Amino acid sequence: MKRIRSSVFSLALLLLVSASAFAQTRRVSGRVTVEGSGEPLVATSVNVVGTAIGGYTDDQGRFTLTVPDGPVLLRVRRIGFVQKNIPVAAGDQDVNVALSRDVLELETQVVTGAATTVSSLNAANDVAVVSSEKINRVPTPTIDQALQGKVAGAVITQNSGAPGGGTQIQLRGTSTILGAYSPLYVVDGVIVSNSSFTNGLNVVTAAGSGTASNFAGSQDQIVNRIADLNPNDIESIQILKGPSAASIYGSKGTNGVILITTKQGRAGENQIDFTQRFGTYRISNKLDIRCFETVGEYVDWTGSAGAALAADSAAFNQATNKCHDFQQEFYGSPQPLSYQTIASLRGGTNAGTTYFASGLVQHDNGLALNDFYNKQSLRLNLGQAIGTRAHIRTQTEVIHSLTQRGISGNDNFNVNPYTVFSGTPTFFDLQKQGDGTYPKNPFVLGINPFQNADLIKTPQENYRLIASANGTWTVLNTTRQNIDLMMTGGIDAYNEADRVISPATSYFEQTQANPGTLFNGNANVRFANLTGSLAHRFTTNGFTATTSGGFRQERRQSDLVQVTGRGLPFAGVYSVGQAVQTFPSENLSLVKDFSYFVQEEFLTLAERLLVTAGVNAERSSNNGNQTKFYGYPKFSASLRSPWVPPTVGDLKLRLAYGRAGNFPTAGRFTFATTVFDEGIGGARLSTIKGANEIKPEIASELEGGLDLSFANGRASLRATQFKKTVDNLLLQASLASSTGFSSQYINGGQLSTHGTEIGLDLTPIDMGSFGWQSTTTYSSAKSKITRLPVPPFNPGVGSFGTTFGNVFIQQGQSPNVIQTFVGCKVPLSATGSCASANKIIGFAGDALPDYQMGFTNDFRFGAFSLTSLLDWRKGGHGINLTNNYYDGGLLFEDTTASIARLAGLAAGQPVYVEPNGFVKLREITLGYQVPDAVASRLLAGHAKNLRFEFSGRNLKTWTKYTGLDPEVSNFSNQAVGRIQDVTPYPPWKSFFFSINTTF
Amino acid sequence: MKRYTFALLAGVLVAAGCKDSTAVIPNDAPTADALAGALTKSSLQTLAIGLMAADRQTFVGTGSAYPILANIYTRDIYRLDPSEPRYLNETIVATPDRGSFAGGGGWAGQYVTIRQANTTLQALGNPSPNVFSAAELAAAKGFAQTFKAIAYYRILEMRDTIGVALQKDDPTDTNPADIICKKNMINYVAALLDSANTNLVAAGTINFPWSAFPSGMSAFGRNYRSVPNFVLLNRGWKGKVDVYRGLDHQNPNPAMFTAAIAELTQALGGVAPGAVSPSTFATGMYYVFVPAGTEAAPNPYSDTRIGINTALDSLRAGDTRASKIVTRSTVTIQGITLTKTLARAVPNAANQAAPLAVLRDEELVLLRAQAEFEAGQFVQGYADLNSVHTNYGLAAYVPGVDINQARNDLLYDKRYSLLGEGVQRLVDLRAYSRLNAANYPKQTATDAYNSAFPIPKAEFDARNGNVTPTCN
Repeated sequence: MKRIRSSVFSLALLLLVSASAFAQTRRVSGRVTVEGSGEPLVATSVNVVGTAIGGYTDDQGRFTLTVPDGPVLLRVRRIGFVQKNIPVAAGDQDVNVALSRDVLELETQVVTGAATTVSSLNAANDVAVVSSEKINRVPTPTIDQALQGKVAGAVITQNSGAPGGGTQIQLRGTSTILGAYSPLYVVDGVIVSNSSFTNGLNVVTAAGSGTASNFAGSQDQIVNRIADLNPNDIESIQILKGPSAASIYGSKGTNGVILITTKQGRAGENQIDFTQRFGTYRISNKLDIRCFETVGEYVDWTGSAGAALAADSAAFNQATNKCHDFQQEFYGSPQPLSYQTIASLRGGTNAGTTYFASGLVQHDNGLALNDFYNKQSLRLNLGQAIGTRAHIRTQTEVIHSLTQRGISGNDNFNVNPYTVFSGTPTFFDLQKQGDGTYPKNPFVLGINPFQNADLIKTPQENYRLIASANGTWTVLNTTRQNIDLMMTGGIDAYNEADRVISPATSYFEQTQANPGTLFNGNANVRFANLTGSLAHRFTTNGFTATTSGGFRQERRQSDLVQVTGRGLPFAGVYSVGQAVQTFPSENLSLVKDFSYFVQEEFLTLAERLLVTAGVNAERSSNNGNQTKFYGYPKFSASLRSPWVPPTVGDLKLRLAYGRAGNFPTAGRFTFATTVFDEGIGGARLSTIKGANEIKPEIASELEGGLDLSFANGRASLRATQFKKTVDNLLLQASLASSTGFSSQYINGGQLSTHGTEIGLDLTPIDMGSFGWQSTTTYSSAKSKITRLPVPPFNPGVGSFGTTFGNVFIQQGQSPNVIQTFVGCKVPLSATGSCASANKIIGFAGDALPDYQMGFTNDFRFGAFSLTSLLDWRKGGHGINLTNNYYDGGLLFEDTTASIARLAGLAAGQPVYVEPNGFVKLREITLGYQVPDAVASRLLAGHAKNLRFEFSGRNLKTWTKYTGLDPEVSNFSNQAVGRIQDVTPYPPWKSFFFSINTTF
Repeated sequence: MKRYTFALLAGVLVAAGCKDSTAVIPNDAPTADALAGALTKSSLQTLAIGLMAADRQTFVGTGSAYPILANIYTRDIYRLDPSEPRYLNETIVATPDRGSFAGGGGWAGQYVTIRQANTTLQALGNPSPNVFSAAELAAAKGFAQTFKAIAYYRILEMRDTIGVALQKDDPTDTNPADIICKKNMINYVAALLDSANTNLVAAGTINFPWSAFPSGMSAFGRNYRSVPNFVLLNRGWKGKVDVYRGLDHQNPNPAMFTAAIAELTQALGGVAPGAVSPSTFATGMYYVFVPAGTEAAPNPYSDTRIGINTALDSLRAGDTRASKIVTRSTVTIQGITLTKTLARAVPNAANQAAPLAVLRDEELVLLRAQAEFEAGQFVQGYADLNSVHTNYGLAAYVPGVDINQARNDLLYDKRYSLLGEGVQRLVDLRAYSRLNAANYPKQTATDAYNSAFPIPKAEFDARNGNVTPTCN
């Protein structure tokens, strides 16, 4: 109704304005070029300030406008260049303008609604924009890793060093405890899946249950599927960090929205880009292990307890009188080169067709034998103008990835290399012997991780299609009014096939009741969505009013079928149907959402004041009441101050308020659990109690800040404060298990997060061939549970008990606080053990950092460039259980520390909770731009551009954390408690050499 | 203008046309409604199988940890696992953590069984008309009450004087229940078993009113689908409970031994002391495991990490129960070395499916001997004990009147006859105050001689830390 009223209002204005006409006019023409090079700038907007008169430059950079008589002010702007206002005197007819490159990216178009954008100069939210160049500066395995350190307010954590992704992004601190934790990803207007599915490792690690169970949730170093996207296809990424900007996405907006725009074709000559990269991944950190060169040294060290085993190992004749560095032998052996081959074609025809086609072939070797990440991608983006008023675009990407991430993380079957290393003295040679056999390790049930790496395969293969189509029809286009009808629809469909093939012949499998294990998991995911919108833009001399409204319809469907087989009687037969025992499982999910939205934007005061109001009404099958619409309103205002000192280019104050939701992922029903007793079916109530009125979490955010550019566009500052309050928290509150229930779903409580984000861009030096650009980001976010209607509890997220530390939800505390034992009520001797009842339960730090900063510096010396990114995370804590694995056997080099930790553990001290702040040299790139003449000569006159780059990633880490990597987490796919370090895949550093050329 | 109007209409029509219903019904699991409504024979079977499966589940999966942890407390059977140090750290190295699987085990699963019993009892109050006879309803009630009592007794075995929460009768009530002291709780369990017995006896000589019974409850010498046979099972459990009511180290009640002897004698079919044939020793209630398929319930002891500490081995020469123990590959963790294991622990398909005795006649004979010794009936006690002792190739004990000697003799046979079948040894050693350095050398420097699990953390949190049992 509101949309119709708004449109009627616009229509009335149209009729009023169309009665007027310009009295006297003249023609002004000119040319827009790039400052310095003189290249023509095509598609540059040229407007008469204060009027609706405007147009764009052609292929030669030329424009012609009919303007009123008398002096006028032309505004010339193009994304990527600093806009200019050019006064044109009454008698002038020719105007030539040179725009300088907007190196600080002061102006871009940022998204404000489903159908609308606004210049970042007027944006009321701090929308982070990351360009293609910044994303692809250093080769990274996946897109999410490429954003690390580049976005103020984003905590991006890589779960382990395993190849092929497994990275989480959290925007503006904690927004939920048990709801969806990931930002929403939208590619070319289509919501895409960032789901993650178990890869089945649990069938060999038994993580999560301690027994031979079959499937696990979040412990299998899971890959989030956004890792599939080809970073090289991306034109830009815009990040709506919180509900005040993301309310248009309704119950999927709480965690922020990452809007990805892929490259499009453009009219003109074909441009072919080709990039070839070669590189290598190396282990970047190892634990310091005690060296035993001989059996005797080990027996001396352990006393009689170790003697039996030492004798046992001698019987295997594996005492080689050498101190083996297991970590180096396993994860540090030279691997073949990793590579990326990227090619793209970009162009367009005179008939209005544009095209962008690209291809990627990527192969990353992991650190260990048989670990790798392969990805191939093909993209075709087409655009076609239909007459002068309509335009259609299609974007299609087909992706195939195949990865083997090895075995790491929590493990109850001693199959993880670090689990075995932590119990094996270093005199023992675990490596493959000359006769092709692997020594049977007497220290850990005979199990040999080198043999496992050779025999156990864990392929995860994914075929994916992301396709979208956008149609725009300009229904009306006058100098004053514009009406666009837009439709965007798309699908994201993929099949993730996860397999574990563990032949019966390994020593590990020989410890099992039915040697030989198979896992066959198939996740079929289909997302489809359709958005229709109508936008009306009405411009007068005094204001521009943009009214938009429309609908969005979504369908998200998944079918996860998993079968485990145990007992493989025939070597080389890997069909689950051939296994002695089979364990089937299937999970079906279907979610349907529907929403209406309407928005009004009002730009006035010579484009200095922008006021926006909108609302999104959404209903979803996720909610207890599936037919009820939940409203997500937003209001915002920005004012570019007309009164600024001469040294200040632009000063903008902004304020935005908005609401977004987080849909319930479960909980609408109390289920009955089907059980079997000797094959006879029965049922009982589930241990999880549902809530039939479950509803979305509602996050309200108030964001304010100022944007300042000064020093003639060579410096800009963006400062933002936000406060986000999440009500109706979705909780799976623990219940006293004596009720027969372990937990119940509830909406209740409130979580509040406030924080600060600052971005400072500087160009300290810009002297022709020598330049220096610097970007510094700062962000902090503090969260607190401000209301909790149930007794404090451990949320249903992974942990290893209070002894080591777990997350605890309690009013007045951070949702990331680490609860653990912090002392003993009674005095103890130096070696005393505190009885369970006497241990004091308290808190030992918070999992999230106090703040984080990123420092990017780009230096240019003629044809050379040097770029670096330092990523600093201050504060925060992790739980280093890996230390506990080694402490028990006293196999660390620093046994004094181990003994102290074990004594502290017995005394009820939080000895495994450690500060995990760090500084990482995240990226560094040295580039050389080959002079055009040389490039032309080298490539027989075909190349327009030739560039060489040598880059490194994660080259150095400075931290007090004693584990392998302060970033790792055994439990990753959860909103809170990503802090458990359990024998992870070690971290990597990479070196790459790249050649980029353009034809 | 026409175009504008058309566009507006088109937009509205498209929006309306795409307005899809968002109603979705889950189709990958039944909801609680499947268990609601008037009771039929079919739904009673669903509930009864759910009850027996829940009971067995306390020995399967994560639940399987608790009997093994209890056996580590008594230094009988170990699980040495380099990847899970808590099996040692929270048993014989330091104290259990109420927040971990080790300290919090043996609790939640039992309460799921109790809730299923309460669900069944509630459903029995709403039978479909003309479907059940009064006798059938009474039988089903006695069945559910018996399993409920067994679950409570098992919680008592692990918590002892720490306390036990008494679940509310409404199976959907989520408010924390009162925590009851041991004396009251064991009396409650005894009364519940007697109430069940009254219902079962009232049912007469019928079968339970559902057709499917797992073989563990029907194929081991006695078919418990027959209500009179199930009465024997009920009396066996009651006799066991009464033995430990008598031995309660906090509130000993010697009068219970006489009652226990009578109940155990009834459970053994009225056979006199020393006269129970060894051929019926295996008769009783079992769990039959199905390791694969959706059921995925393997025998918890079939695991390569299980072992026996031969340093504490007391098996006498000639004892044929030695066949229960075999050599395993040596493993040493935290100074504890294992070279032997249960024959049933050798991981293979047969052992994964090996049935596990829950309560069988050999244990009833030993329990009766125990009650007889404690009641001063040494002749009868030794008659029963010797019927077991001599069955394994050993010379009969010479009956004496020294209660300590009788206990020593009894504990030896209980240890090896029931090795790896339950947590009887923990309960016995605790009852006789033998779980200490005087009887067991320390296994590690900080050996804490734990004898009971704490109240789990979720219970602790739900009551703001107040878990002191009430005793009125």
